[in-house]
Amino acid sequence: MSRGADQNDMLPRTQHALKFDLVAKCATTKARAATLHLPHGPVQLPMFMPVATQASLKGLTPKQLEETSCRLCLNNTYHLGLKPGQATLDTIGGAHKLQSWPHNILTDSGGFQMVSLLKLAQVTEEGVRFLSPHDGTPMLLTPEHSISLQNSIGSDIIMQLDDVIATTSPDHARILEAMHRSVRWLDRCIAAHKKPESQNLFCIIQGGLDLELRRECTRQMVARDTPGIAIGGLSGGEAKVEYCKVVKTCTDLLPDGKPRYVMGVGYPEDILVSVALGADMFDCVWPTRTARFGNAITNVGVLNLKNASYACDFRPVDEGCKCMCCRPTSEGGLGITRAYIHHTAAKETAGAHLLSIHNVHYLLILMRQVRDAITEQRYPAFLRAYFYKLYAGEKHKYPQWAVDALAGVNVDLLAES
Amino acid sequence: MFTVIKSASTGIGPRLGRLALPGKKVVHTPHYLGITSRGVIPHITQDTFARDASITGVYVGLEDFIERAPYQTPPLYQFKPPKDSSPLRRFIALPEDTLLVLGARRAPPVAAPAANPNTNETVSVCTAVGFRVLRADDYAEAAERLQADIVVGLGDIPYGRKLGNKRIEKATERNIKWTQDHINLRHSAETRAQQAKLFAPLLPVSSAKQRFYIETLIQVSERDVAGLAVYALDSLEDLPEALQPLPRLGFTTPSAPQDVLQHIVLGIDVLTVPFINAATDAGIALSFQFPSTSCDQSHNGSDPLPLGIDMWSPAHAVDLGPLVDGCTCYACANHHRAYIQHLLAAKEMLGWVLLQLHNHHVTDIFFAHIRASIANGTFTDDVEHFQRKYESRLPEKTGQGPRVRGYQFKAEGPGEPKKNKAPFTMLDDGQEKIVESAPPEAGTDASELEAQGFAAKA
Ligand SMILES: [Zn+2]
Ligand SMILES: [Zn+2]
Repeated sequence: MSRGADQNDMLPRTQHALKFDLVAKCATTKARAATLHLPHGPVQLPMFMPVATQASLKGLTPKQLEETSCRLCLNNTYHLGLKPGQATLDTIGGAHKLQSWPHNILTDSGGFQMVSLLKLAQVTEEGVRFLSPHDGTPMLLTPEHSISLQNSIGSDIIMQLDDVIATTSPDHARILEAMHRSVRWLDRCIAAHKKPESQNLFCIIQGGLDLELRRECTRQMVARDTPGIAIGGLSGGEAKVEYCKVVKTCTDLLPDGKPRYVMGVGYPEDILVSVALGADMFDCVWPTRTARFGNAITNVGVLNLKNASYACDFRPVDEGCKCMCCRPTSEGGLGITRAYIHHTAAKETAGAHLLSIHNVHYLLILMRQVRDAITEQRYPAFLRAYFYKLYAGEKHKYPQWAVDALAGVNVDLLAES
Repeated sequence: MFTVIKSASTGIGPRLGRLALPGKKVVHTPHYLGITSRGVIPHITQDTFARDASITGVYVGLEDFIERAPYQTPPLYQFKPPKDSSPLRRFIALPEDTLLVLGARRAPPVAAPAANPNTNETVSVCTAVGFRVLRADDYAEAAERLQADIVVGLGDIPYGRKLGNKRIEKATERNIKWTQDHINLRHSAETRAQQAKLFAPLLPVSSAKQRFYIETLIQVSERDVAGLAVYALDSLEDLPEALQPLPRLGFTTPSAPQDVLQHIVLGIDVLTVPFINAATDAGIALSFQFPSTSCDQSHNGSDPLPLGIDMWSPAHAVDLGPLVDGCTCYACANHHRAYIQHLLAAKEMLGWVLLQLHNHHVTDIFFAHIRASIANGTFTDDVEHFQRKYESRLPEKTGQGPRVRGYQFKAEGPGEPKKNKAPFTMLDDGQEKIVESAPPEAGTDASELEAQGFAAKA
């Protein structure tokens, strides 16, 4: 156990709007527990961040989101740039004021959506060229535009514009170009950033699945001393084995004293393994998106409550869950049953809102348990117990990539707890 | 249970009352019930309902719960919550002290097609899987077992269709039989500490035209029939004095606040007000206020004011003010017009949540002021003043509301196309991301994107 960690990483830095306190390191894996002090209050790492794409989390009021224990949520720059738009954001005074959210906000750069949503997007040194989805006019999103927009949004953590390509791309020259361009764009983002004293700019490590490129990119990005570091380009279709190798390769080279964010990861198993590989922050639309289809995340897997078998199931959505939806009335909760979610799923918006409350709460509480396990030096046992329950004790069903990745950080997932 | 505090000077008219049931919030009348859909006030989750709304009572239609009947026992009938509490209340997670009123049909219901008529034993109901028949005896039994606070008895109500004389005769006979049978069932059932109050449904014709049924109701005791459900104001015009002390629950579908006032003038005590939910879905923030005193001189002579604000309008885009100045609802206390306009434009569901909270709050205040006005003896003048002050109809909706379901709109038969397209469909993982981050709406052009600072024209 190395409380306090490497003092060299803890030196005060110029112009960083955050403070990272490393609380504990797992003695077996690379997992860390930390407190991240942000402009709108402290958050506990490791952490899951729900995605409020357009400044609202799927029908939940900010009060309800707060009640799930969320203290940092995402907004998407691409969406806010279109609606309500930069001029409106400037007039209103940013996204916190727009959505009356007193806690922290993280925004992406808008580049990922641009490239993944607009088929005709083309990346040049200047920025991302694309045709307007409405009238076909050629448009250009530059690093400067992205940062200016995120400055108007006023998010506590902002992301650099990066050159995103599919990790599965076979074009090595293009991957190399994208990696170097992402570094150059980081420099432009840093130069364009007008509010480093109140907004933290994170770099994004690129380099596809080529570990040597990832190392090179990591070295260059770290040298630029951003307050936090993201590992990007991994929410595509790459194999989990490759994903784990990239995360581990990057975290091996990252300083202890900065938060590490893996973008677009949200399945519980993926998060638990990534934490063991040394990552701290995760975001994903999956918990709220899947709620709309009647899916409840539980310790025994995802239950599709639209299934007829739940019509007369009067148990709570997830037994023992302390969220507002599941908690019994005797404990001040609503005591909502699976049968009632079945009754409203896909028929009343409120049914989806209730499941979103549960799903977001589930992931936030899971992260709190992870954190406690790390600080109490029992994370390996926690991992074993979680997988055991999820797969109902059938160890031959454990995903091989998870078993292998955890073996790489000294955890034998198949061992007896 | 129901006490008239101040009645009209002659016959039927606006009156003040007090509907008090053990353990429930007292309903001071005139008042209204929130209208639920599948057990919720649309868009309002139960925790927000309890914490951030102040709706005194709700109406629930049983047809929202019985799509499996009669082939399978509906889940709600199988639910046995602990400690003898109401299965319906616990199933829909309604707070203990909110008045719960149960009827057979939604308010307002989808009128049954001519091919699905009521019979001597059944009424036609609309479930999530289409029209089904509900037996009168099944309804009475279920309604008793579900332990609502008030049960509206089953009536042969034609919803929207005019009744000919022959048909009125038949409907009268059915109402007499169904009501008698329901009362008998209540007598035979082991006495529950909290037996629901039974409200008898009047046919939507004058009392004279249904006099045999009216006579039956006069003969039974208040323990058997504790109130009346009114489907047309005609029934009240010649309501015999013997039935006048009973509370009157209106299913009279007022389409504007002026209708609400008129229905109160004609003697309704508790109303169901469908235009609240409709305004919310249309993106309209209700903005009317009933003058609590007649000295409101702020609006004499000029053009009438709108009853609501179309929140789709881009005019609100940078407006940091509340929906209505001085409004203390959750939406106005915590958010501003700019956000609500943004949520509607972005089709974010929270927009409807906030409007729904505001619109119910405006209605709460509206009714509180109506009661104050009746108490002051200024009601007649205040109604007149209101009619001069406001436009007679709610504003037209300009934006697209939330997705409409089959049981929410008037269907005339099978095979009708969906009212609006599903906003999301299950796709493979990569494509789902695209669904999640739908590209901007048509209608914005490149210069607009540029003006918004999103990117520059290349
Ligand atoms: Zn839960
Ligand atoms: Zn309000």
